[in-house]
Amino acid sequence: MKRLYLPLILFLLLVLEGVALELLPGNLLTSDLLIVPHWVLIFLVFIAIFYDKDQTYFSVLYALLFGLLIDIVYTDVLGVYMFSYALIIYAVHGFKKLLHGNIYVAMLLGVCGIALADVSIHLIYTVIGKTDMVWKAYLMHRMLPTIGSNLVFLLMLYPIVVKKLTTWGREQLTKSNTI
Amino acid sequence: MSFLRKKRLFILLIGFIFFVALIGFSLRDRENLTNVEEFVNDTVGWAQGIIHAPINFITDIIGNIDDFKDTYNENRILKEKLAEYKGLIYEVQELKEENEDLRNTLDLKDDDNIRDYTPIQATVMSRSPERWIEQVTINKGSNDGVEANMAVRTPEGMIGKVLKASPNTSTVQLLTGFDQFNRISGKVSRGGKGKDKDIFGMIEGFDKESKSLVFRIIEESEKDLKEGELVISSGMGGVFPSGLVIGTVKEVVPDQYGLTKTALVEPAANMYDMNQVIVVDRSVQEDLKTDEETTEEEGE
Repeated sequence: MKRLYLPLILFLLLVLEGVALELLPGNLLTSDLLIVPHWVLIFLVFIAIFYDKDQTYFSVLYALLFGLLIDIVYTDVLGVYMFSYALIIYAVHGFKKLLHGNIYVAMLLGVCGIALADVSIHLIYTVIGKTDMVWKAYLMHRMLPTIGSNLVFLLMLYPIVVKKLTTWGREQLTKSNTI
Repeated sequence: MSFLRKKRLFILLIGFIFFVALIGFSLRDRENLTNVEEFVNDTVGWAQGIIHAPINFITDIIGNIDDFKDTYNENRILKEKLAEYKGLIYEVQELKEENEDLRNTLDLKDDDNIRDYTPIQATVMSRSPERWIEQVTINKGSNDGVEANMAVRTPEGMIGKVLKASPNTSTVQLLTGFDQFNRISGKVSRGGKGKDKDIFGMIEGFDKESKSLVFRIIEESEKDLKEGELVISSGMGGVFPSGLVIGTVKEVVPDQYGLTKTALVEPAANMYDMNQVIVVDRSVQEDLKTDEETTEEEGE
């Protein structure tokens, strides 16, 4: 039963992303700023840092799965989020072996992850012609507001989930036959 | 160790090939969604339905408070308008009767009318968090008669078209996400003949910089467009019915070659604040027509 918690939380975040823009005030939506919620990615970063052990790759697996779900539900181009999220989470998983898991590391890896994932999504969408934003405009109007707003979400989520994730991660280690 | 590294590289390369194949598959012009996509869309749509209710409640309350502030002024304006409408109703009634008489004399059938459509009421469940992809999800799908390419409107005007329909949900591409592959045949109604005839053109996409639709005027018309004129769909494209309000002309500019004119059209409907939408179903009368044709053939 406990193994179902992570996918359920990720699914909830995925659903919430769809209504997230309705919560923002209307003049922010019509302005030039493009704020994109990457909540699923933030939770995946937490999973990679606090839940996964060095030799388990649950976070990458979930990144593939929920990236694909985002692609299916919210965009009509399959594979973009899936590939970007999985690659970024794999990198985060590699980095956390070198760093101790605390809030500063989570913030650092979270911000880098969001920035890289968003750049990679922008790159792919530019290549397939879904967007034609200039890099400078992209940086000012999309990347910085996106990182800022997602960082706020990361700081809000951190105290709620981290302790739970660490305990679940430890339980997972004691019953080592989980997969 | 080197084997491990090779294995990792191998997986990455296979993943990359898979990724390119997946993008290629989804960029293809495909008519229907795969079963997996339909299932995922419906499952997420169901969960969104649950989440949507409380969030809608909260945003409604905030919206109501804002509305209260404007109520007094709005009420005054509305009362003035109401007085005008009373006169208009009589006028419309007379015009309707006249139209019917003229149609009867011309021997036109009701289902020849390109204005007719069946409305399907729907609620907007969610909006794509990816801001470059302008699409929303509505809670009606192919089980309710929604099909791809149907126009979607609010009371203010057209907001987009159905991109893909799953059994219980469907995704709607908004006007702000239209490109040169999604054109709408539009016109500016002038109500006269000869020099005063309607101006036809095509909505050719959305210009993100000026935040307006690009309306290219097909024929060189004698009279210039003026700011504030209403652009409506003409129904000539065969996909959308005629008479849907698209927007108002904001600015008229010559196109890049200086041969034709392009009008920048501000969409009439608000794409960011909508809850109830109407899916415009034109297919009913098409079915009727084909039925009649088949019965005629059988009769022969």
